Amino acid sequence: MKRELERVEIPDEHGARERAWAVLSSAFAKRTPASRRSLHWRPALALAVVLALVAAAFSSPGKGVVDRIRKTVGIEHAAPALFSLPSPGKLLVRTDAGVWVVQRNGSRRFLGGYREASWSPFGRFLVAARTNELAAIEPNGDVRWTLARPGVRLPSWGGTRTDTQIAYLSGRSLRVVAGDGTGDRVGCARRVARVAPAWQPGAPRVLAVAAHSGSVRVYSVDTCRLLWHSRPGPVPTKLEWSSDGHRLLVLAPPGLRVYDARGRLLAEDRPPNPARDADATFVGPENYGVVGIRVRGGQSNIFAPRTLFHARGSLRQVTASPDGRWLLITWPTANQWIFVRADGKRIRAISNASSQFESGTFPKVEGWAR
Amino acid sequence: MHWPRALRAAYLVTHDAQAAEDIAQESFLAAIRALDTFDRRRPFGPWLHRIVVNRAIDWSRARRLRSEVELGELVPASEEQPELADETLAALARLAPEHRAVVVMRYLLEFTPGEIAEALDLPRGTVNSRLRRGLDTLAEEL
Repeated sequence: MKRELERVEIPDEHGARERAWAVLSSAFAKRTPASRRSLHWRPALALAVVLALVAAAFSSPGKGVVDRIRKTVGIEHAAPALFSLPSPGKLLVRTDAGVWVVQRNGSRRFLGGYREASWSPFGRFLVAARTNELAAIEPNGDVRWTLARPGVRLPSWGGTRTDTQIAYLSGRSLRVVAGDGTGDRVGCARRVARVAPAWQPGAPRVLAVAAHSGSVRVYSVDTCRLLWHSRPGPVPTKLEWSSDGHRLLVLAPPGLRVYDARGRLLAEDRPPNPARDADATFVGPENYGVVGIRVRGGQSNIFAPRTLFHARGSLRQVTASPDGRWLLITWPTANQWIFVRADGKRIRAISNASSQFESGTFPKVEGWAR
Repeated sequence: MHWPRALRAAYLVTHDAQAAEDIAQESFLAAIRALDTFDRRRPFGPWLHRIVVNRAIDWSRARRLRSEVELGELVPASEEQPELADETLAALARLAPEHRAVVVMRYLLEFTPGEIAEALDLPRGTVNSRLRRGLDTLAEEL
């Protein structure tokens, strides 16, 4: 029997060994042996430096969420249309035709032919970009103000209830304007990468920007003081702060990194070639876990850090609901959206995602707000 | 030295090469993280293999729960279960993952029934009956 079991051929066994060696030797080299005193207790962050997995998800809140999802996934049949959202809040969706808002009850409103948009910090307004225009809009479609600027891209709205700011790109330059459309000015960085800047929650007017070199730079925009920056590397495609502003997720394919608010690297995921991380988001009750999409060849996994969901083709985006209780995963290959409840007890699938928005292309989720 | 057996054990339980690689890798990483609390007087291999097999069982259970998705509306029409070319693998596929795990632990990883019972948190009698049923099924198939 032993011989029989040992002669079973494992596909790509040699490749798996090579990939594992790269990951594990690196993890072992980076391991920080615990002192004797700390053998019985270590803060979750001390574990977070392990390479190759998103160790933030190992912190107890993240891991709890992940394990619940993984172990108790339940199934519902795919609905033929997006009848409602499973969680309070509203979605902002972009298609080739423009931007839509989807309310909790499933009603959809087309806001116009904007190419990008994002929610204000409390979901009361949204900011949208056309080629040469920035616009602040109410979810019912009323336009509050517009601002003409060349090559407007990737607006991001942050701040408190009484003091909000919008950062956006104009060409390759960063610009900042107050939430009421006044005081538009050049931001602190030039030659920035084409990725939406991210305002740090709880620290008004602190902005993370990706530089052309791939370095992440965090500024106090009032004084343009550089608070910290990361080393150059792969150019990020997404910057996201945790809801308390204590952690910054930097998606820079093929991998991703998590920093604390002072720029210390907490965790890093470097998937073995040819895999890559396609998207990731913070999730969980305390918003400290990380859920990501890893694409390898023609297959995708949702990992956190174990595989939660496996799919043929490419999963594209993962977005957490405002209350952190649901994930929305987009799956262009099947033309579906998958809602996974964070306690792991339900999955809701929506068929024909493109036709929900009368679009010839697969819709992109721009945000899920309160 | 432990990698080939860990990968093989995961593959024999899951029958999915990509999942097996992930499971084996994650188990090693979990072991590296826990090295400081590991009692070094004990052998490393069984400790690691226990993690691998438990994760492989978890993964297989999760996949079974998802099977409604995989066979239903969620999967593109091109999705098909892979053909198991290997006779042994095909025979193992007749067993539930929990039963496969017991067979793999006993005959590949050379755990004793008592060690299997402890590792999988099962009564000794359950381990013995799973082994017997597993061997009977494999004997018929092979």
